[in-house]
Amino acid sequence: MKRLTNRLSFLSLCGAVWLVVGAAAAQDPVEFFRQNCTSCHTIGGGRLTGPDLKNVTQQKDRAWLENFIQNPRAVIDSGDPYALKLFEEARRVLMPTLPGMNPELAKKLIDLIEAESKLEESQFKGLQITDRPFTPREIEIGREIFLGSRKLANGGPACFSCHTMKGLGGLGGGRLGPDLTRVYERLKGRQGLGAWLMAPATQTMRPLFGKHPLQPDEILPLIAFLEDAAHKGGEDTSVAILNFFFLGLGGAILALVCFDAAWRWRLRGVRQPLTEGEIPRGA
Amino acid sequence: MNVRSQISMVFHLDKCIGCHTCSIACKNIWTDRRGAEYMWWNNVETKPGCGYPTQWENQEKYRGGWERADGKLRLRSTGKGKVIFNIFHHPHMPSMDDYYEPWTYDYQHLFNAPEGPDQPTARPISMVTGEPIDIKAGPNWDDDLGGSPIYAENDPNLEGLTEEQKQQLSAIERLVFFYFPRICNHCLNPACVASCPSGALYKRGEDGIVLVDQNRCRAWRSCIAACPYKKVFFNWFAGKSEKCILCFPRIETGQAPACFHSCVGRIRYLGVLLYDAERIEEVAKSPDEELVEAQRSMILDPWDPEVIRAAREAGIPDAMVEAAQRSPVYKFVKQWKLALPPHIEYRTLPMLFYVPPMSPVMASREQNEAVEHVSDDLFHDIDAARVPMRFLANLFGAGHEAKVRYALRKQKAVRWYRRALTVGDVEMETAERMLREADCSPEEAEQIYRLTSLCTFAERFVIPPEHREQAIEMLEDPGEHRTTAGFGFLTGPGRAM
Repeated sequence: MKRLTNRLSFLSLCGAVWLVVGAAAAQDPVEFFRQNCTSCHTIGGGRLTGPDLKNVTQQKDRAWLENFIQNPRAVIDSGDPYALKLFEEARRVLMPTLPGMNPELAKKLIDLIEAESKLEESQFKGLQITDRPFTPREIEIGREIFLGSRKLANGGPACFSCHTMKGLGGLGGGRLGPDLTRVYERLKGRQGLGAWLMAPATQTMRPLFGKHPLQPDEILPLIAFLEDAAHKGGEDTSVAILNFFFLGLGGAILALVCFDAAWRWRLRGVRQPLTEGEIPRGA
Repeated sequence: MNVRSQISMVFHLDKCIGCHTCSIACKNIWTDRRGAEYMWWNNVETKPGCGYPTQWENQEKYRGGWERADGKLRLRSTGKGKVIFNIFHHPHMPSMDDYYEPWTYDYQHLFNAPEGPDQPTARPISMVTGEPIDIKAGPNWDDDLGGSPIYAENDPNLEGLTEEQKQQLSAIERLVFFYFPRICNHCLNPACVASCPSGALYKRGEDGIVLVDQNRCRAWRSCIAACPYKKVFFNWFAGKSEKCILCFPRIETGQAPACFHSCVGRIRYLGVLLYDAERIEEVAKSPDEELVEAQRSMILDPWDPEVIRAAREAGIPDAMVEAAQRSPVYKFVKQWKLALPPHIEYRTLPMLFYVPPMSPVMASREQNEAVEHVSDDLFHDIDAARVPMRFLANLFGAGHEAKVRYALRKQKAVRWYRRALTVGDVEMETAERMLREADCSPEEAEQIYRLTSLCTFAERFVIPPEHREQAIEMLEDPGEHRTTAGFGFLTGPGRAM
């Protein structure tokens, strides 16, 4: 009995340690910034969707910043002129309210931004992507990554499983995410795309790529491919959906035909066939 | 030897007048309930005809009973492998259309109809949907050759008859039919019991009555497809299978089952048979032509001291053995060999036996002349009978005529013999010669005559004391059982799904 109690207390201790460590990891502002902020912001790397955060503490007081980080929408809705200006600059893309955000974390994040701003080169400067034209080879590799025929190094899922692109695959891709044909334009070119791919921040993509991030040598070909696609232009049409519908319909009919063949000796009614051709009543 | 007792039955078709009293008696007692409207645990069919459900004898379609394959017995409808692939839908399940949609009439309309130029009528109303329906079939739709161009001509037993015989069956002045009352055969090798995935069906140890445990039934309906006689029915309201219970509550209290008790023509006999359960599989595997004889050989002589000793060892009460000795069924089936099992080729070894019916000889009519019989030997010429021997053989002899001919010849000889005795217009010498030819002694003829024509209630129904108190002891304390048993359900069997 005592042994069992010992074992149980040991197990609960382990659990407690794990919980504390886990909570600390979740609260680590560096990791949090990397996962949640870098898709729109840099520190000293120039503007992406959101503004460059270098020396942001010198432009606005800490209380305002803490408030804004915790609930951007409320601040914008309150009619704060500076917030409205930022909103317009970001071309009316609203900064999301981040899950797990609290006053303490907001303070830590501003501390982090302040500290990083003082450095000559911040670790959050963002991915510096070359301006040279991409080679056909890079575009081809990007295409393979997009389609999943080239596996991602960290085991993330292929883009195609959730996204579509014009002219790719007979049945189009997955329909969970938006069409990516013109995403290059939507995210303002290479820098924005690169930042996004470093740490996708949407509710659906973050859980998938948080643990399986893309590598820089995967991001570059992907950008190349997406840029190429945007230059070709167009949007994915609904033809693929229609194809999918007809494939489903055809498949269902085929399955029913197979069932009919497999169970062709089933009882199909005895009395009715006998009485067919009988003179109807009253005739 | 593994002796067991079975309450067994004989229906004397030569006496059946097709009045359906048995069906009504059964209906009133057992199946006058929601969900059971279409069930006829007892029904009377006209032969030739398609019966109920339509063409139930056509096992190419219904796939009931057993078949022999590689020296083994196999259910035609299901099996360990098949049941997985057909788990969501049994491919050989008769539909309601193959039975009929039960209906009643809108009698209230006769009273409530507004005044009008015509007499009000009572429209038929479906007992399933409650909507007015156009009646297309019934449990007895082909009664007395009704709709014979469809039904009588599609009787599966006509297989093997010549075209001429088939035409004669339905020709004016020659047409013929007889009645074929049916209940559950309480088989020795029941396909319904073997097919049940839930183990809900069982054969009672003390008397061989086959029953469905209403609490165990899980509505798989395998039994319905597996029974070649289509005598298990699905209660669509309760979600349980139901079948003839041989009125076991009546039998346990010493009364004959309702259909037996009410039989106007007194065609029904009930009694105990002792049989050797060790031989069931071996007998059920016999070739078609040997099946009837093999089944007879399983039935044991209740006077044989060896059998009595083995019966005691198997726990059969002496009263049961004594009832077996007085059993009219034993006489008809084993001693006189007059009664034959229906469609024994389904290999379920039915324990309801039929004395095949006699029929008038062929008649012919030339132009405007009076009807002439083709044979002078009105009572004797079996092969000139209007019902072709082949037809009866398909029904009662697994397609082989010998056993049927034997039974008919003996019946004819007994008639001839009695006519010589009482009317005297035939020579006794001829009658005795016929008896010898029919393998029958005058004493036996007298006994057959008595049990056929003068039988009393007690002679027809030899119901053994069931010793339920002993049967219950195996499962629970009889004292406790007494306080919990009674009429009706303590808790109604709920729908299983």
